[in-house]
Amino acid sequence: MKKIHLIFALLLTITFVMAQEKGSVLIKSGTVLTVTNGTLEDTDVLIRDGKISKIGKGLSAPSGAKTIDATGMFVMPGIIDAHSHLALDAVNEATNPVTAEVWVGDALDPLDVGIYQALAGGVTSAHAMHGSANAIGGQCETVKFRYGEIDPEKMRMAGAPRTIKFALGENPTRVHGSGNGIQPRTRMGVEHVIRSSFQKAKEYMKAWDTYNAKKNDKRFKGKAPAYDLRLETLADILRGNIIIHCHSYRADEIYMLMQVCKDFGIERLVFQHVNEGFKVAPELAKFGAGASVFADWWAYKFEVYYSTAYNAAILTKNGVTTSINSDSGELIRHLYHEAAKSQKYGGLSDDEALSLITINPAKQLGIADRVGSLEEGKEGDVAIFKNHPLSIYAIPMLTVVDGVVRFDRENDPADMRLYPDPEEKIDVTFWEAEDHDRCMANTEFLFTDK
Amino acid sequence: MRKRDSLFRSVILIMLTGLMPLIGWSQDSDLKPVTSKYVIKNATIVQAPGKTIQYGTILIENGIIKAVGSNITIPADAWIVDADSMFVYAGFISGLSNIGVKKPEESEERDDRKLTGNPSNERAGITPGNSAREMLNLSDKSVGDFRKLGFTASHSVPHNGMLPGTGAVILLGGDSNQDMVVKDQISMYSQLSGANGVYPNTVIGVMAKYRDLYRKASQAKDYQSKYNSNPNGMERPEPNLALEALYPVVSKQMTVAFKAESVKDVMRVIALQRDLGFNMMLGEVKQGWDAIPAIKATGAPVFLSLDLPEWKEEEKAEKKDDESDEKESDPTEAELEEQALKERQNTMIKNYYTQAGKFSSNGVKFGFSTMEVKSKDFRANLLKVIENGLSPDKALAALTTEPANILGLSSMMGTIETGKMANLIVSDTAYFTKDASIRYVFVDGVKYEYEGKKKKKKKNGDGEGVDAAGVWNYTTETPQGNGSGVITIKGTPGDYSGTISVSFNDSTNEIENVEVDGNNVSFSFKLNMGEEITVDISMDIDGDAFEGTLSVAAFGSFPMEGSREPNN
Repeated sequence: MKKIHLIFALLLTITFVMAQEKGSVLIKSGTVLTVTNGTLEDTDVLIRDGKISKIGKGLSAPSGAKTIDATGMFVMPGIIDAHSHLALDAVNEATNPVTAEVWVGDALDPLDVGIYQALAGGVTSAHAMHGSANAIGGQCETVKFRYGEIDPEKMRMAGAPRTIKFALGENPTRVHGSGNGIQPRTRMGVEHVIRSSFQKAKEYMKAWDTYNAKKNDKRFKGKAPAYDLRLETLADILRGNIIIHCHSYRADEIYMLMQVCKDFGIERLVFQHVNEGFKVAPELAKFGAGASVFADWWAYKFEVYYSTAYNAAILTKNGVTTSINSDSGELIRHLYHEAAKSQKYGGLSDDEALSLITINPAKQLGIADRVGSLEEGKEGDVAIFKNHPLSIYAIPMLTVVDGVVRFDRENDPADMRLYPDPEEKIDVTFWEAEDHDRCMANTEFLFTDK
Repeated sequence: MRKRDSLFRSVILIMLTGLMPLIGWSQDSDLKPVTSKYVIKNATIVQAPGKTIQYGTILIENGIIKAVGSNITIPADAWIVDADSMFVYAGFISGLSNIGVKKPEESEERDDRKLTGNPSNERAGITPGNSAREMLNLSDKSVGDFRKLGFTASHSVPHNGMLPGTGAVILLGGDSNQDMVVKDQISMYSQLSGANGVYPNTVIGVMAKYRDLYRKASQAKDYQSKYNSNPNGMERPEPNLALEALYPVVSKQMTVAFKAESVKDVMRVIALQRDLGFNMMLGEVKQGWDAIPAIKATGAPVFLSLDLPEWKEEEKAEKKDDESDEKESDPTEAELEEQALKERQNTMIKNYYTQAGKFSSNGVKFGFSTMEVKSKDFRANLLKVIENGLSPDKALAALTTEPANILGLSSMMGTIETGKMANLIVSDTAYFTKDASIRYVFVDGVKYEYEGKKKKKKKNGDGEGVDAAGVWNYTTETPQGNGSGVITIKGTPGDYSGTISVSFNDSTNEIENVEVDGNNVSFSFKLNMGEEITVDISMDIDGDAFEGTLSVAAFGSFPMEGSREPNN
């Protein structure tokens, strides 16, 4: 019983500490992997009020700040996952091929214990994405893993650019084509859905421009174009206010979307999964599109058979901004291993490999000026490892978000749920695990009772 | 032509003759009361929270409180309620409920899959033009059930969808469905629930659709008002029922009553309100304790749910510990884990019961809603909430003056004062004590009398139990989906047998091991789902309805409910 009470006392302290969003902490004498500025031995990192205020030697902690002794440990920027469906109560609004107006930021679940599990893998930020059921899916949300906060507002990385999910290939054609018998049924159909959506948005913008030009004229009696949140969102893509993150596998369709974007003057484009990205790496580099890939996950459906573990390395060597993502509540816990795999296969340098899970995903999300490397002035998101993070022996020890310790291996209570289910039957036997792949969540109803 | 006329006439005739006996019967049972004057004499009158008259008398006439005090002349023709040692309170007001509102029938029509992205508004759950008033049903079971608990009025809203329609304040009594209405168009009821299988299907769809509709309505309303002032040269505004119904919301003449049970829903609704700026009240809040600062910042009044998770007594757990301390050496790791999980769960459960107290001490305006609390749990839950930090006065306020104030009814109801509507509760002792039971409820001056629970219910001994025989239609919710079927029970108590049909595999199975304990009937049956599994059913029967569970070892137990087919 004593043991339990102790755990509870610990839990309470943690919850209490977590109640602040920004903290100060001094990380002493670690091997600092800055990612953008080389490796600094025996160096301190000082985070003040959530921001990295100083990186150097012999720093002292301001009063009240916690000191972490990182002697013999590796200090790296918090890992960023450019493709996740963690902490979301809804992933797909799968009822229409185009749902640009929906936004997963409306369905954030700060109570998801998966956030804590991701923190335990050194991850501090993630791109919470809409699923891939629709050609044009919903808007995504860049979040910080401030686990312990109840308000979803506090999970958002305020100021991060807006992003939206697109999807090519089998998923949208299966859901809408085979599932509902509507467009898109083929890859050609997907292209058409996207093109015609952009075209409608263009016309919508034009109609509003015309109206706005005339409306101040006193004699003008015309009607404004009917407000439409879907078209508003698509128009914001055309205006360059939203970054497209597109689920894609095959080289031909990747190339296709680049052509479509060129035609509509869209420049901000990141491809997700991109298993055949290596075939169009120079084209991606030339366009300036990013690629967020798996290290070695494939063959889970037909369009994903032509894949290689050299993908990340080939893309990197061709000058494509490349990241490695999880798309899974399990993979997110060891993205450092995934980066290491790409390094092992493709012969990347340490900095290149670490970039795959730090500064590069930050660039793809438009937040590289704030996170993704250890630099003075950036946000205090840090992961501390025992052994080099690219080593198979790497162990995440501490994870800091905005200067607040959100995971500490030495102080890691068994039950980190925030809102246990009051009605759940308590059973210490583990019966079944939830499926980790949520890309197609909320679409199940389309495939049953048929 | 003539032939058809006569056919028509005879159909009407048949219908009329068919109806005759019914009409006669209903008139019989609805005899006008002999008087509309009542006097409640010699009672402790709690006029308002914290304001009590001892040995007081209330005079009611034609539905109005004519006099309250200790020195009142009793008219000769008044019906006298001798209320010595009894307590009188203002009738309770449910801040948000579906009391008295018919559930729409579920359509059996299959959707056109090609239209899942663009369904009709009706199908999408967008019916802001509907009103609870049009769906009232005085004989709905909920009216009597909640009146019996002391509720005399309710802010009732329609069921289903993201925008089910407008709410009305109704009385839990009256001569006809329309007679129940006190105040119509009191709120625009909203929920974050998606439409099954069509757009908007998920919470993200609903939130987006809500924004889209709201802004469309706002735009259309502006244009309409310009058009109204001078239509000359202007294109005619496009008529749109759903958008037009939202105009009063957009102009903030009508408040949105948003259902938000979980803390996440509360935060989502607040975010939506921040985006759009409508006036709002939150209803059926179950998990709001961590959201108090956020709720407070909006200034929105709240109706807290009394549908609470089952309270688990802690003593039991402690006793177990003592035993194990004595008997064995150290508990195993699994036991420790289980113990820790239970303690956490209990702490969590406690949050639900202390919530009202916290809202009260933080100065948030709140009442109670009764959407999901089962009428049989209402009182026990309320008393437990009081035990956990809400003062009885505040509880009374949350059931009377607060909802009256929030809903703009203070001049009509909420307290016992001269001139107010005669909505009253007479309890045999102080209501907020354990043994109290309600003896009379007055709704708009009409008296409803209840037996106290003085005479203890006969404890069901051996062999004696509820009559379970009959044909029961049931539904159940399992992770495999919703199931339904028919339970047929034959025989007499102690000797029941029968069958159960199961929709999961279209089977009908013999039931076994039927046991009756008081109003509980349990049995098991074998179901072949590839392999044979044993399913246990437990039914708590209340008249012709039951609630119960369907359990399969290893998979857990799932709620089921149903009703008995009328005997013809």
